[in-house]
Amino acid sequence: MITTSRRARLGWNIATYAVLITLTIFCIFPLVWTLLTSLKYEADIVTQTMQYIPKRITFDNYVAIWTQSGFPTLVFNSFVVTATTVVLCLITGTLAAYSFSRFHYPGRGALMLGYLVIRMFPAVLMIIPLFILMRGIGLLDSRFGLALAYTSFLLPLFVWMLKGFFDAAPKELESAARIDGCTRLGAMIRIVLPLARNGLVATSVFVAIAAWNEFLFALMLTTSQGSRTWPVGLQLMVGEFQLPWGVLAAGGIISIIPVMILFAIVQRTMVHGITAGAVKG
Amino acid sequence: MAERMSALAQNPPSVWRRLDPAAALGRLSETRYWMYLLLVPSAILILAVVLYPTVYGFQLSFRQMRLNRPDLGTGFVGFKHYIAMWHDKVFWLSLRNTAVWVTFAVIIEFGLGLVAALALNRNLPGTKIMGVLILLPFFLPNVVAGHMWALLLDPRLGVINDILVRVGILDTYKAWFADPSTALGAAILVEAWHGFPFFALLLLAGLKGVPDDLYKAASVDGAGPIRQLRLITLPMLRSVIAAAVILRVIGLVNSPDLLLILTGGGPGQSTQVLSLYAFQKAYKDFNFGYAGALSVVMFVLLMLFAWAYVRVSKVNQD
Repeated sequence: MITTSRRARLGWNIATYAVLITLTIFCIFPLVWTLLTSLKYEADIVTQTMQYIPKRITFDNYVAIWTQSGFPTLVFNSFVVTATTVVLCLITGTLAAYSFSRFHYPGRGALMLGYLVIRMFPAVLMIIPLFILMRGIGLLDSRFGLALAYTSFLLPLFVWMLKGFFDAAPKELESAARIDGCTRLGAMIRIVLPLARNGLVATSVFVAIAAWNEFLFALMLTTSQGSRTWPVGLQLMVGEFQLPWGVLAAGGIISIIPVMILFAIVQRTMVHGITAGAVKG
Repeated sequence: MAERMSALAQNPPSVWRRLDPAAALGRLSETRYWMYLLLVPSAILILAVVLYPTVYGFQLSFRQMRLNRPDLGTGFVGFKHYIAMWHDKVFWLSLRNTAVWVTFAVIIEFGLGLVAALALNRNLPGTKIMGVLILLPFFLPNVVAGHMWALLLDPRLGVINDILVRVGILDTYKAWFADPSTALGAAILVEAWHGFPFFALLLLAGLKGVPDDLYKAASVDGAGPIRQLRLITLPMLRSVIAAAVILRVIGLVNSPDLLLILTGGGPGQSTQVLSLYAFQKAYKDFNFGYAGALSVVMFVLLMLFAWAYVRVSKVNQD
């Protein structure tokens, strides 16, 4: 764009800012409005004239959702399911990603594609048999069973994303360690994993956010307070108790706080990992 | 642990060599099957939790299975469910709705994503933070996204209604999700909000890979920004666009979450899509056989689309 005139360039710059500001408002306005709603008294939400800026602020909605429902239990269940999912992915997925990244062998490409194709299977097609199977072996309505189901569709993503980070880790140090007498396993644990530390964290966070947010499997595979996660619990509360808007908004804000914090911390590395595969392939 | 392992590797006492699991694994890693062994844990998980249930699901679609009516048994019924589907009006309606839902959502999301990516790629000062905020909706849970928008579009308290009335576009508040003519459109708006950051993310990464020289050469030749977009940017992004569209279509066809939360398929069946219909058949009616058949049809159609799409985008390349 070296020949474009200064005026044209200024015009494009203004247009760029206008587009970005509009899109940013579009993206965060629902969030801001939910936050404002969660801080309003119910009487100020259900009014004749809309209050854009709340005239008075209350934290009653937060107290209500936290104390008057099983919300802490729901959050705790979600936490356990998410942590279990991440651990399962870390143990099994790291090994697979390492194998795909460091070795070339017959069948590797087909296997990698196979891991990806699994993502195409409709959740509904899997949910029904999973329901029957888990009922048969007593994993229905258990946090471990749900984590197992989550691992099934998050593992392929985990493997592909982590493979990208492993590919980026230099191979020379690993070779040096091998020459010094390290086994392949030793080199992987002591050299490669520390090198790909950021990638491991970002990939885990990506899986954690997905597991924390998941709704459909949880709705089908949990039936009681003992294992129900927060998305299902919140949705059922809306249906059963005609949850007031303020309380619902407070519940929403509480449950997305962990997501926002994790996203803020590893956003850069995570974004890099998500895009690397798609752009290369 | 680490020190011990290296010590063992250099000077292994014969007893430990047999008993220490870490050393045993270390030795195992030197065999030529190691790369396959590494895949075993994840392969077992995937076989048990994905492949086996999917095959079971296919099989289920040819059988009678109603959890709430065990007296009907689980016998083989051949193509009964598929024939019933052919005569099921709701199936055809949800097939049509799925097509509308996916087509419009993908077009809007791609459009917004491309605009966002092009704008962000100019790297103007102060736009970095906007890039982060624009990505945020993609990471928010469906349940919260759904209820946020339900509040924004509420027929009595919705702020969007209020703004539209103030600006003069609407005369009175509108019940977006209760009116069959606007429900699907409103749901697509919510989905676009939720999904366009995904396109922005991938397209932005793709844009970073387009060499600057191409643009310089084009502008020397007198091509304006619009022609540069059409002749350089879009062709260079072809594979990224293909990948993004495929992934998004798969996601949209397979996941009924947002519609389940926003409308539950209503009013009437005006927002009923295949995945949601199948889920409700299983979750509400416990008619697992029919639900299985619905999801099999959905899966086959999706595969056909993916195959055709990949072919078409490859043909164009030559």
